[in-house]
Amino acid sequence: MRIGILSFAHLHAEGFQAGLRGIPGVELVGFSHEVGEEGRRFAAQFDLRWFPRHRDLLAEGLDGVLVCSENSRHLELVQMAAEAGLPILCEKPIEATLEAARAIRSACENNGVPFMTAFPMRFAPSTIALRKTIQGGQLGKIYGVNGVNHSEMPDHHRPWFADKALAGGGAAMDHIVHLADLLRWQFDAEVVEVYAELDNLFYPQQVDVDTAGLLLVKLSNGVQASIDCSWSRPKWYARWGHLKMEVVGERGLSVLDSFAQHVHLYSRSSRPYSWAGFAPDSGQAMLEEFIGSIREKRPPCVGWNDGYQALRVVAAAYESAASHQPVALGIEG
Amino acid sequence: MRVGLVGSGVMGEVHAAGWRTTAAELVGVYSQNAAQAERLAEEQGVKRFDGLEALLKAVDIVDICVPTYAHKAAVLAAARAGKHILCEKPIALSVKDGEEMIAACNAAGVRLFIAMVLRFFPQYRLSRQLIEKGQIGSLGVMRLKRVSAPPNWAEGGDNWYTDEARSGGMVVDLMIHDFDYARWLAGGVERVFARLNRAEEGHGQYAQVILRHKSGPMALIEGGWAYPKGMFRTSLDISGTDGLIEWSSDSAGPLQTFTLSRDGNGAGVNIPVAGLSEDPYALEIQHAYGAIVGNQPFEVTAEDGLEALRIALAAKQSIATGKAVSL
Repeated sequence: MRIGILSFAHLHAEGFQAGLRGIPGVELVGFSHEVGEEGRRFAAQFDLRWFPRHRDLLAEGLDGVLVCSENSRHLELVQMAAEAGLPILCEKPIEATLEAARAIRSACENNGVPFMTAFPMRFAPSTIALRKTIQGGQLGKIYGVNGVNHSEMPDHHRPWFADKALAGGGAAMDHIVHLADLLRWQFDAEVVEVYAELDNLFYPQQVDVDTAGLLLVKLSNGVQASIDCSWSRPKWYARWGHLKMEVVGERGLSVLDSFAQHVHLYSRSSRPYSWAGFAPDSGQAMLEEFIGSIREKRPPCVGWNDGYQALRVVAAAYESAASHQPVALGIEG
Repeated sequence: MRVGLVGSGVMGEVHAAGWRTTAAELVGVYSQNAAQAERLAEEQGVKRFDGLEALLKAVDIVDICVPTYAHKAAVLAAARAGKHILCEKPIALSVKDGEEMIAACNAAGVRLFIAMVLRFFPQYRLSRQLIEKGQIGSLGVMRLKRVSAPPNWAEGGDNWYTDEARSGGMVVDLMIHDFDYARWLAGGVERVFARLNRAEEGHGQYAQVILRHKSGPMALIEGGWAYPKGMFRTSLDISGTDGLIEWSSDSAGPLQTFTLSRDGNGAGVNIPVAGLSEDPYALEIQHAYGAIVGNQPFEVTAEDGLEALRIALAAKQSIATGKAVSL
């Protein structure tokens, strides 16, 4: 099976290229990247074939593509891939605007290609086990969830993460979707109300996007949940950040710390102190699902609607932060 | 100075032990629950008074550890008698009551200390000192947690904590600690949004509150009577432009003891255990006593206690209306 990566702009492309090469029967044909200097550098760094134009990669007779561009360029690449008839795994968030996200659906439907939103946290053993715990009723009726997805500012990996035109926003655009998606999936429910405080509290002199964010959302089943999407971890933190969910129920409490499995590393290189993880790689399990769905000619287990619903929460958060009041979300899609 | 204790419940016991670490003379205790007061008086080897007026005549300082709804009457009586006052938090059930209490003490020329004990917990004090020294730059996002099991009294006890009309409920009684702490770190609050879910049966409840401070920082405050029996978790996570402070009660203390069996009796309200030597309840009483004797200002004023109450009541209003509340 021949797979290509459209754009190497997203940091996760680095992990995905290694992951794809580890899946038996998958041939990673190469990647396209239209900024020449960067393309050459990534090609050398990862020993990959580089296509300076997306069209040239799409002409290689592929079976599927990953879209790893900046958020606001997802639509353009998805349209090209859809017209080429290829199944797509697209980085999160699905796009920078709801309008563009809806255009992604049209492009995929019109060309009859499956679309998968990259939500790797659905494939972590810890989140899968938590879902069983919740749905099995062990915690009783759930009061609420304390959700944390705070991190360092990712701009030193890729500056566009803090560029509003390319990312569509800052920390809120970057991080809300993971927990929004996990909440929807854990509870089989939709987010029906969003309150948010968003501001640029951490890097006011350096970037022009929101870097601090706290949300309180309500789900259609009455569960309340907080989401901390802030870029509040210092750049000298022991790791990029955290994904945590504390689920508080009438009969019990579950504390999810998805990256809890780590050794404490003190090294002269890179960070003086860091947490080196030894948990299973959920990104790899996500890639295997994408490849499996192509092989078995079935829809992937995470689709367009999941990416879209998560982006609706982000859009509502920006609206709430501007109005200083909660924003209701009707059921849509 | 001579000290009299009003109230003989859990906090009365804790405060009595705190007074024992000072040079003050604990004279006696008065409580409406005579049997409970008798037990405490016996334990402490002090007198049990039959009435509040009798106690007020015999002391210089009154330490009020009665349920919240009874704070106002006790404070006003002590002020009328010209006695200095320590009063458990929350100061009162309404801002108006709190204002009257403060005014009465000012008019009577007596000191009023509200026992906002969180400010005397060493990890919370240290964190504030580090922030004051500029170790983490300007404040950004603060995360504060305080979730316990529902208050659980011995058989036949009066579970007034769970009676919203008498305690203000969990948001006022428990979360006020972190509202005060957030305000101590980041100053006045501009906006409050809160949500609370309740158990279908019993007193279980869980709340999450977002504060936006006038100076810019934001806070997520989590509070609840929602955990299984015996659990009480607290944590702080305070991030700024130049750094971060993290602490959680999940981390091990200086001594952990594991035994084969655990007997079932215990206090009705869970109180977090700090280090072994620095009991924050004793520290707050030492501080209040020292400030009264030396005529020095309190580190936490009655007005601070009142402002924390104002935030808590705004959170309740937000929970009731579903809207953000501007202060």
